[in-house]
Amino acid sequence: MINLKEFESDVRPDWCPGCGDFGVLAALKDALVSLKIPPYNTVIVSGIGCSSNLPGYIRAYGFHGLHGRPVPVALGVKNANPELTVIVTAGDGDEYGIGFNHVVHAARRNDNIVVIVMDNLIYGLTTGQLSPTSREGQVTKTTPDGSIYRPLNPLSAIMGVGGTFVSRGFSGQPKHLSWIIQEAIKHRGFSLVDVISPCVTWFDIYDEVKKQVFKLEDTGHDPSDMTKALQMAKTDKGLPIGIFYRNEDVPSFQEMMQQQIGKNPPSKGVKALDKAKIEQLKYEYS
Amino acid sequence: MTKVEDLTVRLGAAAGDGIQSAGEILARVLSRSGIYIYTYNGNQSVVRGGHVWFHIHAGNRPVYSMGYGIDYLVAFTQQSMDEHADEVNNGGAIIYDSSSVKPKNFAGNVKLVPAELANIALKYDKYPIMKNTVSLGILAALMGIDFKIVEETIHTQFGKKKEDVALRNIQAATDGYQIGLKQEKVKELTYDYSKRFPFLHSNYSFSLGAVAAGCRFYAAYPMTPASPIVHWLANHAEELGITVFLAEDEISAINAIIGASYAGARAMAGTSGGGFALMQEAIGEAAMTETPIVVVDVMRAGPSTGLPTKTAQGDLNMMLGLSQDDFPRVIVAPVNANDAYSMAIRSFDISDRYQVPVIVLMDFAIGDGAYITITEDFKPAEINRGKLVYQASGDMLNGTWFRRYQLTEDYISPRSIPGTPGLMYVAKTDEHDEFGHDVSDVLAGLKSALKTREQMYEKRMKKLEYIRKEMRPPTIFGPSKADVTLITWGSSANPARDAIQRLRGNGISVNSYEFTDIFPLNQDVEGMLKQAGMLVDVEANYTGQFANYLRRETGITIYNRMLKYNGEPIYPAEIENFAMKVIEKEVL
Repeated sequence: MINLKEFESDVRPDWCPGCGDFGVLAALKDALVSLKIPPYNTVIVSGIGCSSNLPGYIRAYGFHGLHGRPVPVALGVKNANPELTVIVTAGDGDEYGIGFNHVVHAARRNDNIVVIVMDNLIYGLTTGQLSPTSREGQVTKTTPDGSIYRPLNPLSAIMGVGGTFVSRGFSGQPKHLSWIIQEAIKHRGFSLVDVISPCVTWFDIYDEVKKQVFKLEDTGHDPSDMTKALQMAKTDKGLPIGIFYRNEDVPSFQEMMQQQIGKNPPSKGVKALDKAKIEQLKYEYS
Repeated sequence: MTKVEDLTVRLGAAAGDGIQSAGEILARVLSRSGIYIYTYNGNQSVVRGGHVWFHIHAGNRPVYSMGYGIDYLVAFTQQSMDEHADEVNNGGAIIYDSSSVKPKNFAGNVKLVPAELANIALKYDKYPIMKNTVSLGILAALMGIDFKIVEETIHTQFGKKKEDVALRNIQAATDGYQIGLKQEKVKELTYDYSKRFPFLHSNYSFSLGAVAAGCRFYAAYPMTPASPIVHWLANHAEELGITVFLAEDEISAINAIIGASYAGARAMAGTSGGGFALMQEAIGEAAMTETPIVVVDVMRAGPSTGLPTKTAQGDLNMMLGLSQDDFPRVIVAPVNANDAYSMAIRSFDISDRYQVPVIVLMDFAIGDGAYITITEDFKPAEINRGKLVYQASGDMLNGTWFRRYQLTEDYISPRSIPGTPGLMYVAKTDEHDEFGHDVSDVLAGLKSALKTREQMYEKRMKKLEYIRKEMRPPTIFGPSKADVTLITWGSSANPARDAIQRLRGNGISVNSYEFTDIFPLNQDVEGMLKQAGMLVDVEANYTGQFANYLRRETGITIYNRMLKYNGEPIYPAEIENFAMKVIEKEVL
């Protein structure tokens, strides 16, 4: 039986009391338990920042890597062993700033990984600098007179580059977020789960988000309709959460790769070549 | 006609004329005639036009470098004539396309062989691409090679699928051969048609070694001159089950192989200096998380974009000073395609057993197009994955986390791979304890964390002391004792070998120390340097990076340095002349 206890770590999160990331951690554990994925088949990959400390707080395999680089690490893991459930947990700095390039390319290749971005519109761990998703006019340590940088809209951006699963959750609604994460894990290919996970210390927008948030499912939104999904991603009437866009018809990169290289993925292929094969390859050009 | 022990051929043309493929056919013809070869691809960073050349040094004994001058020059363009004619040796020959190239005036004895190369080629195709083949026919006749071998090689080159193309090429070659037969032969080797020697360049043989060692994951972003590695692996991907990941940049490539290795694969990335510069942070990541990886840098002439299609050995300083702070790494540099195969196997072996990144330095002089006859036996790999734990024993299953970074007597910890029940851990780039828990955040600076920090730092660094014992001293080429000792590392050993053979033929007492295991340095090196003859450093960079490194490690300064940084490979004559000057200076 897979239960919550199995995912329980003995390391206490170092997040501020009230941090949105607690909700994300709870939702992630709930999703894995609900899908009966054992901890040993789960790999959580993160970058650098408050949110990226998450792997230590969930008992599963984890890789706490460099700032901005969890996506390439994750796809390396997934290519080496496609049987694993590979989930990136990182922040808006990691995924929309320094490492956005990797997110874009993982989305267009349709790498079969889940990318959960704890988006707090600010750099928290480095004590409150402007993030790529910070709002115009937002006052931060680096923009004392208000930001003149236009913010990134990660949802429309990833839809634009061919992302096949684009969603947004709210850390204040962990049950709903768990459902999104479950659907993302089940999805055939790349899944972006942008999570509004407010920073209570540097940019506390909890009350505002609570007031604005509404569920796309309640509006009868059809996730196969990209035009509608783009409209909802860009709306300034409230803050929609749920699955904006979903396309199950695109094979994942790993499926395609398996078709090319056969059934043994790289983690199962560490075998020496025999002498006859070596000789054949040695003489190939002569 | 003169019988010689070795000779050189240079084909000069414009990019797009198919000169590399012509050079490869000639390399094949010679290899099927029992001749040893070394080739060099003098290409430019252009797809069409410009001036490119292909050089072959061929001999009845193993040859290692560019050789001496040019014995046969084939000039398809005026520029080829103008650029190379003055390098043609006395008694050599120039074959040139008489419809477009004007010969130079020569003081010495050089035979001119004008031929309507392009016009003859147009008999067999609407484009004159077969002018290459016509010239190969002429060359074969002048060199006294049996035409049967030429015919057979052309068949192999084009394969059964292009039978028609092969037949037309054979006709073009026959026309050339007839022209050549009417001439007096020039320089000739002794051929043995019962022998067929294999040849590879180091990018290919290293790739073969990697696959032989069980590497099934390769990631790269295209960069000259490392690209032949990705081409070779992609061409064999389906046959051998290799995942070739063409990443969006080198940062992605290196992180992907770290992920793949963490998940249990043997994984490798390849690039050149500029791409490696982008990878640096992640080499530290591999060392800190103790994830085994192999990364190849096929060096080219820098700095920055530098000379993208030209050679250098300028990246050693980068490898010695990679990324932030101190961490273990291993640096090796194979001499040529002969040892690159086994070096690949060793690199994976060391990387897996010590859980460290291994960096392999090769360069253009032995890379893309720089084929050499393979005389080594390529033995199958014995795969040892070190302390990899495939199944949790009873006591391991009890705890919450696997003691991944356990402190042990040999400083190497047990390693598990995802998918194994009971052995969960988090690989950490933050400083961590034995369980992979951070000591970087809420514990940072606390007394317990200071001790952990020291223990973990020592654990990582002390692995180097065990690795040092496995690192090999330089191989001595020539006599064990000599008046002059050339110091080479990686590819600079090759021209030194040719130079030593000639110097010794002239009665000079000379040998070389060929370093392949660069860092950590074998412990006997200091003693060996003290026992050596007069030291002459030979390397392809401006400052003498390896000599400076040897001084750092041993305190011994090499004052005589033959340094080359114009982008061309080191020629044996340059070493010879330099060594002679040093000797004369000392004697005076």
